[in-house]
Amino acid sequence: MQESAQIVLKSIALFFLVWAAIRLMGKRNMSQISPFNFVSYIVIAIVAALMSINLINLIYGFIALLVWVAFPIALDYISIKSKVMHELINGKEAVLIKHGKIMEENLMSVRMTGEDLLAQLRSKNAFNMADVEFAVMETNGTINPYLKSDKKPVTPHDLGIKVAPQAEPQTVVLDGNMLEEPLASLGLNPQWLATELDKMGVSLENVFLGQVDSSGDLYLDLFDDAVELPQPKVKEMLYATLEKSQADLATFALQTEDTEAKAMFSKNSRRLEDLLNKLRPYLLH
Amino acid sequence: MTVASQVKQTLASLKGARGTLRVYSTQTRDDETRSEFIDALEETNLIIEDLEKRLQTLELKEPQYKGN
Repeated sequence: MQESAQIVLKSIALFFLVWAAIRLMGKRNMSQISPFNFVSYIVIAIVAALMSINLINLIYGFIALLVWVAFPIALDYISIKSKVMHELINGKEAVLIKHGKIMEENLMSVRMTGEDLLAQLRSKNAFNMADVEFAVMETNGTINPYLKSDKKPVTPHDLGIKVAPQAEPQTVVLDGNMLEEPLASLGLNPQWLATELDKMGVSLENVFLGQVDSSGDLYLDLFDDAVELPQPKVKEMLYATLEKSQADLATFALQTEDTEAKAMFSKNSRRLEDLLNKLRPYLLH
Repeated sequence: MTVASQVKQTLASLKGARGTLRVYSTQTRDDETRSEFIDALEETNLIIEDLEKRLQTLELKEPQYKGN
């Protein structure tokens, strides 16, 4: 009985100790750790397990834990400070495909078969070897392909389209609750939200999610999906209004006989046209 | 519809557009977009001024349509 109580106490103490140690060792994703770190995690786990069921001496166990926690931290620190040590500890990334050709020797040195390489490339959406210009195996084992320039996804830059820069949207309502902090970071207050919700005719409790986009428009998702909400179309409307005014001015320029007025109308019509061209990426997207 | 009232209508919708532009030029968070909206606001102001001037001359010339 006494022994089991001892095991319970030890396990609880070790649980928190190991938790603290792992947190101390860094905040990396489990799938991204190097094989070496993986080994230290396993050793820590095994030593802790053996200690908690009294299979090894508590003091010896602590010494072992200390070494296996301190060394990875020390190595991490050294590898941050020194490039040479970084390569020595974590290894170097291996180029597997260069200029569209597979480097068989490098593939051999990382002990991968052609099938492995193809499977990894497929997981990165590169099904066709001919599309891959360059591929590298990172030190943590993931393979990153770089596609040939004519096989890469098209960006607005490729198409020569100007797009408006956008800041990240801020979530201001979640689960029917107003989130004060993001709202304040936008420079808005609860009254603003109340007014906006009023305009759309919904109450705060019915809103599952509310986001303010970079231009300050509010997007809502309600608990009740049967309710159709008007989505913000203010920018499209603004564009349409300006476009109509531009057409009006052009008409006036044609209709009027007064030469001075004609010049004025056509000048302003041109001005508005330029303005529309400039605003298009910001208003229509 | 007379010319004066047509111009007035366009002027009104331009003023509405100016209001919306002003809202966006304050509530947009991205600096580049905001300055674009501010530029547009100034441009719209100039056009509105020109139209208002024209409207005054029209009303002077055709006083019978004043107030339509």
